[in-house]
Amino acid sequence: MKLTGFRYLKKQRILTLTLILTASSMLFSLTAFSLQGFYRGFTAYLGEGEDIIAIYNPKTRTHFTSLVPAYLAEKISMLKGVLASSPEALIPCTVNGEALFLRGIIPKEFTKLTPLKILEGNMLELADVNSIILGKNAAQKLSLNTNDKVLVLGVLSDRYLELQVKGIFTSNSAMDDEVLAPLYVGQWLRRADYGQVTLIRVKIDRSQISPSDIMEMIAKEASEPTPPTQGEETSPPEETIIPQIIVRFKIEDVGVEEARKFMKNYLDRYGLTREALLVLSTAVFLFSSISIAAAAKTVITQHKGEIAVLRSVGASKKLLKRDILTKLLPWSLIASTIGITLAAVAFKIIQENSYLQVLSHTIPFQLDPLVIALNIILSITLVSISVLRERLE
Amino acid sequence: MSGTLYGFKMLLRKTGTATAVLSIALLVAIIASTNAIANYIASQTQTLSKLVNPTGTYLILNKNATALTNSRINPELATQLNNTNQLSHVHPQKLLTTNLTTHTGNATAIVRGVNNIRAYLNLRNAIINGTAAENLTEANIGIVLANALSIKTGDEIELTLDTAHIKVKITGIFRSQTQSDAEIIIPIETANKLAGNDNTVSLIEFTIKEDANTQEALNQITQLLPENTKLIQTQQLIEFTQQTNMQTLTFLNVWSIAVYAVVAAASYITATRLTAESNYELTMLRALGTKKTQLFTLVLTYTATTALIGSLLGVALGTAGTQTASTILRWIKPTIDIKPYLEPEQTLQTLLLTLSSSIIGCTYPAFKSTREKYMEQPL
Repeated sequence: MKLTGFRYLKKQRILTLTLILTASSMLFSLTAFSLQGFYRGFTAYLGEGEDIIAIYNPKTRTHFTSLVPAYLAEKISMLKGVLASSPEALIPCTVNGEALFLRGIIPKEFTKLTPLKILEGNMLELADVNSIILGKNAAQKLSLNTNDKVLVLGVLSDRYLELQVKGIFTSNSAMDDEVLAPLYVGQWLRRADYGQVTLIRVKIDRSQISPSDIMEMIAKEASEPTPPTQGEETSPPEETIIPQIIVRFKIEDVGVEEARKFMKNYLDRYGLTREALLVLSTAVFLFSSISIAAAAKTVITQHKGEIAVLRSVGASKKLLKRDILTKLLPWSLIASTIGITLAAVAFKIIQENSYLQVLSHTIPFQLDPLVIALNIILSITLVSISVLRERLE
Repeated sequence: MSGTLYGFKMLLRKTGTATAVLSIALLVAIIASTNAIANYIASQTQTLSKLVNPTGTYLILNKNATALTNSRINPELATQLNNTNQLSHVHPQKLLTTNLTTHTGNATAIVRGVNNIRAYLNLRNAIINGTAAENLTEANIGIVLANALSIKTGDEIELTLDTAHIKVKITGIFRSQTQSDAEIIIPIETANKLAGNDNTVSLIEFTIKEDANTQEALNQITQLLPENTKLIQTQQLIEFTQQTNMQTLTFLNVWSIAVYAVVAAASYITATRLTAESNYELTMLRALGTKKTQLFTLVLTYTATTALIGSLLGVALGTAGTQTASTILRWIKPTIDIKPYLEPEQTLQTLLLTLSSSIIGCTYPAFKSTREKYMEQPL
């Protein structure tokens, strides 16, 4: 006996199940997109790709309290296979009362690692002593334009600065939420010596050099620091703006690691792995599983008359359950898809209204196929279990 | 009325009630647990931020100024501040954006006029190569600006602001690790001359004495301030942490809308299931004379009651659950010590929002139940 031709399930009654599945899928997807977006944004903060290396102080608890010798950037840049070496001073601050991160950079080296597109005004140069450029999100948040002046106040130090906006840029990265300034501005706010920076980002050609080669050079420098060369211009004129200071250091105070791995290990220290975040999102979905089971039970209860008729003409319980499941699963799939779409739309709206920020950085949106697959699998599994466990009289 | 009450008791005793309560409880537990953890993180960051030196640096600026260089206040205020005897340093300063002409060309630079250049450089822990400027024709320059413009000790530079021109000689290059390294420091009289003798200053920078009561000192200072001025602490650790905490809380509040949407959907299910499974009971009530509005109220009250019980249970589950999980985590990793907690007003807010969502969700099925003709079962 085949029941596929019998259209006994009323669409209006199936709405009960689709409603709860849509809501639960939306909640799961929104949670998963947010957590995965946070994870992705954080791990890509210093750069994506295996060719970006970070030189940092492994003993510090956060990446913006780390300090490493600034002169190492120049030493590293002279190694064969090093394409760019960018010393950076990353520092939390308030700009016109808004909490933001300021990054002190050497513009020429920085842009080799993170290309910037100037939307308004001009690009920053190291000699722009009182200038900054703003990421487009930061500019929007502060309602600032080119040539506006800002009051920057320190967070880790009691420093105050007046700076002028030279331009607004976009980089399609976390930098869009930041303020970029000449390196020494970051050093002032960090209350660091001109010989120290927060970290050094290096771009390498993996076919010529590896992170361990860089570590070897740094270890050699730690044990036998190279004296500064006399009378020879090793740096371009614009880079002698910052006083050149050779700082003695211990090798255990410097770490070298692929940038993405460095940020990932930082999160792993607190148990925030990608898998843990997915499990958290799944737990949120499973917390609404009772409602899904109740909805499936309700659909069957509402159709008990129809089911009784089919049982009386010879349909077995097994056959009926299989048929109900076959008819409900496409609706489950539709409900999950609608839920995912609603979550994506909601995420975009929340993101555009700046409601989705962690440490003043916008969480990026990424349509993760794993999240979509997990959503559909969970919905189908829950509906299947609920229907198969139901007692049909 | 008593019939409705008996009907309510009858419905409450049905087997589906426990499931309905549990489904709401689990959803509310998600909100309660995330709020509890967020509260702990917020309180920890607040505690850390309070470690900032309370006797730090403060600035008095013009309230309407958009930048330090266009702020103008009365310098007499500095004398009044000194008279409070609560302050270790009081430095009125005049900041101007001027045109700078050197032997290499022209540039724009910030010029800072101070009362005593030596005292100012000492305040900044500056190291000077040369001597501190001592008269109106001398100036000191920060190392960054000096390097950028190739200025050396002994060079003469011209400062221009609108129509005023002044020539000064650089007597020393200093390094202070502050923004002054990109400025020219001149006597305040020279700055006044450049600005057209308007007898104002841009800001007053001061530090409270270490042995002084900070709050008392600030209260005293605030009373002295004219209406057109504002007081700012230069180290903004507390404000920064408050804003970053607020970002997390804002996101959680927006995310919780999705949870309440599921609560509304769950209540819809509860009410629909109730009307589907309680066919007999509702038919009997109608036969005994229960009006449609009473039936509506009955379904609504039932769903709201299960939501209320569910939310109370959920808040307890969520809070206790996170506290249990953090205790277990502490056993495994003693260095991790998390103490999540829920504020009473958050509990009340959660209960009210759950109740509201539940009422919204169950309104349609409750209304539909009044339209149902219980004598006929449509196929």
